Amino acid sequence: MAGGDRLSDEARPARGIPPSLGRPGPTAYHRLNPLTKATLATVTAVGAVVLGGVVGPVGLVVVAVLLPAAIAGVLPQLVRTGLLLSLPIAISAFVVNLFFYPGAETVLLRIGPITATAEGLAFAIEILVRILAISGAVTLFYLTTRPSDLVVDLERRGVSPRIGFVTNASVQTVPAMVDRAQQITAAQRARGLDTEGSVWRRIRGVVPIVGPVILGSIAEVEERTMALEARGFTRPGRRTLLWSPSDSRTQAIARWALVIGLAATIVARIAGFLG
Amino acid sequence: MLARWLAALVAFVVVFLIGIVTIGNFGTGIDPDSFFDSEGANSFAFIGAIALVVAFIAYAAVEYAQTRSFASISAQFDTRTIVLMPIAIAINIILGATVANALKLPIYLDSIGTILVAALAGPVPGALTGFLSNMLWTYVVPPPFQNGPAAAFSIVAVVIGVLAGLAARGGWMRPRRSRSTGELAVGAIVALVIVVGLGIYAYTRFYGSTVELFVEDSAPIFVILSWLIIFIFAAIVVGFLVLLFVRRDLAVPYVTVAGVVTGVVAALISAPISANVFGGVTGGGTDFLVAAFRQAGSDIQTATFQQGLLSDPVDKLVTFFVVYLILAAMARRMKARFPQGELLLDELEPDQPDADDWRGATA
Amino acid sequence: MTVSLRSVGYRYAGASRPSLLDIDLDLRDGEVVGVAGASESGKTTLALVVSGIAPRTIGGQIRGKILLDQADVDDWPMHRLSERIGIGFQNPATQLSQVAGTVFEEVAFGPMNLAIPRDEVIDRTWHALEALAIDALSERDPRHLSGGQQQLVAVAGLLAMRPEHLVLDEPTAQLDPAGTRLVADAIAALAADGVSILVTEQKTDLLARIATSVVILEAGRIAMRGRTGDVLDDPRLEELGVAETSAGRLRRLASAAGVGGARLEAALR
Repeated sequence: MAGGDRLSDEARPARGIPPSLGRPGPTAYHRLNPLTKATLATVTAVGAVVLGGVVGPVGLVVVAVLLPAAIAGVLPQLVRTGLLLSLPIAISAFVVNLFFYPGAETVLLRIGPITATAEGLAFAIEILVRILAISGAVTLFYLTTRPSDLVVDLERRGVSPRIGFVTNASVQTVPAMVDRAQQITAAQRARGLDTEGSVWRRIRGVVPIVGPVILGSIAEVEERTMALEARGFTRPGRRTLLWSPSDSRTQAIARWALVIGLAATIVARIAGFLG
Repeated sequence: MLARWLAALVAFVVVFLIGIVTIGNFGTGIDPDSFFDSEGANSFAFIGAIALVVAFIAYAAVEYAQTRSFASISAQFDTRTIVLMPIAIAINIILGATVANALKLPIYLDSIGTILVAALAGPVPGALTGFLSNMLWTYVVPPPFQNGPAAAFSIVAVVIGVLAGLAARGGWMRPRRSRSTGELAVGAIVALVIVVGLGIYAYTRFYGSTVELFVEDSAPIFVILSWLIIFIFAAIVVGFLVLLFVRRDLAVPYVTVAGVVTGVVAALISAPISANVFGGVTGGGTDFLVAAFRQAGSDIQTATFQQGLLSDPVDKLVTFFVVYLILAAMARRMKARFPQGELLLDELEPDQPDADDWRGATA
Repeated sequence: MTVSLRSVGYRYAGASRPSLLDIDLDLRDGEVVGVAGASESGKTTLALVVSGIAPRTIGGQIRGKILLDQADVDDWPMHRLSERIGIGFQNPATQLSQVAGTVFEEVAFGPMNLAIPRDEVIDRTWHALEALAIDALSERDPRHLSGGQQQLVAVAGLLAMRPEHLVLDEPTAQLDPAGTRLVADAIAALAADGVSILVTEQKTDLLARIATSVVILEAGRIAMRGRTGDVLDDPRLEELGVAETSAGRLRRLASAAGVGGARLEAALR
């Protein structure tokens, strides 16, 4: 293009990508390949379910969640967030199982018509530990990995750029939509919408917010589609990547080891070795 | 074309039978009666989900062998669909998180986006939307929205997307306005028969032995809650059928049936996951319902089925209707450019005839 | 490279009447063509048709020929056309890709899609950022910029694809006065550098500033065309629903008040 040629007339020193792109994480654990961290999280979560009991999941939590979290320096945050997340589920799990475990016989205490049983307690603890393991594993991943890093890594390995696009765009759209909902809520409140009060009123108050948010977002689809196609989005096949996370043979072996270990555990469980 | 669907069907049936026979030690024979044992249903649902995935692979493989490409699948993924999916995923996550955290009602409302994409673009994008919604909801979304158990239910979301996409492909989400009273009456009766039929079947299979739900020493809160759900479900079905006559829109029974059927299938697949992985507890309002049934004497497996068969059909019924309303609010032009958009337009509206030297896009 | 439209007409999907009819237009290298007209006169439609978005992305039906240096582009897919003709839209926020955490990645989005080698992508991105004078914003989050800045990012993203022509559809329509000034100045700088632009605008001041020729649309047809100075001073502008330029208004009011002369003309130049 005429203008472009003129702009590149002067000799310019070559510049690289800006430093914030692909900036490595602060600790060794952060710098692990995102797929490795994702594999660890998934294997831990599934493993906690497969192992059952209390010892297995607790061991997994210590080795695969707390230890890496300490290395990554996110332990306090992990404990806080993980507990916060599992708290409502934990409460439900405890209340439901402690008091309503069918077929239980060993009674611990009685509160009116409701009885707490030892079997119920044991089961409640088992479920609780499992939930903590899953929540911990997933929170560790969330605290140490940028989702766009994982997407770039998967794209490098051959996943379609369109799926990567959907994932990245979803991550950005959630907070954007919440903002929009808050703006509409404020506007509706100024028009006299009642958002406090009884459950029924709150449900009724939700509709004039949800409607505009959903329809407003959908109305943007046409404009966004045109803008994307104007930027070459329809071109099939792979696209250029500016950078990708580093990987190593060791990590690849570790990933396979984790997956095979999990598969072996599942087989052992089904075959009855673990009871 | 036929070969692909046939291959998919064959693959589904083969994998299903192999599964039932080999994992028989979960407590099932091929006796149709015991299929709907709680334990039998575990393997039933699990195997069904795997068979579905294998069937999809078979379909894709045959298409690739025939045409060296995945055209019928990738055609469902044009730019417009790709742009819609993140919006749909965000809707799923935000509404689902709001309902689970703030409104402790025994419904989910986390599939509106999935079914919207499935209707506009097809079963595969719908399934992918569901899958990604659940995965991102667990792994990537920050607290307070994050939902730990969601990823485990990804397969349920996939199945919901597939069913909704197929329903839309069959024209079930299309408005059918201004029909005669006779047609509307027939539609209402058919819908009622199907819904009530499913209800009776579910009741005799899953609830028959637990009429103790309403026994004297049940805590009153559980009795009230269960009656409330049944009442809400009945009210919704009746309300929609009234809507049928008020709006004179024959689409109502179609959407009702699609919602209830999808709900029942979703319940069958999600209950084993909820029971075996999470002990029936996932942090939403549904936990209380599970507790209610367990207090009435059911084991975990049965209780999650009982809860699911109440919550899921209601939830999917409402979701399908919300999607129907969203589609009705979308301009004709907006819908038409989506891969399945043509199937969502009222067939009684005439379309523009093409004039001689006007041409559409050739690329 | 010349973009030529010959007897082009366009009808939106589901519309009963065409929105464009009998359009004959040439966009030559280094020229800036301004398109003005009342609302619904077809300005946006023309922009969409020239860039190929209509009918490829949005459906509808087209008539006539569009040629790129005598080559008929009728069967070119959108991504092929996007390398030769870029189009920017009114809404700065909906042009963001939503997958970029930094302005750099946002501008690099287009070249990355075209699978251009990495080093060249980086090179083009910096050039585009510098052309719009926003290289200082390279590490900012595009979602947190002002509307005017976002519009500059959008145009930079188009420039990075090295199109031979740039189509801008009412680039300042949704901006506040500060944003309008920012974007107008940037576009004027591009025009001064020799970039070929087709810009549609309600605000004729911008056209007066940068366009070499102006086309006025009425009800989907070309009602008037010619050199900028001639067209924008034509008294028929008002009945065509086109706003007069600030300079034109000043001249009119001044002469009505009996003020004028060489000093006024010199000041308006």
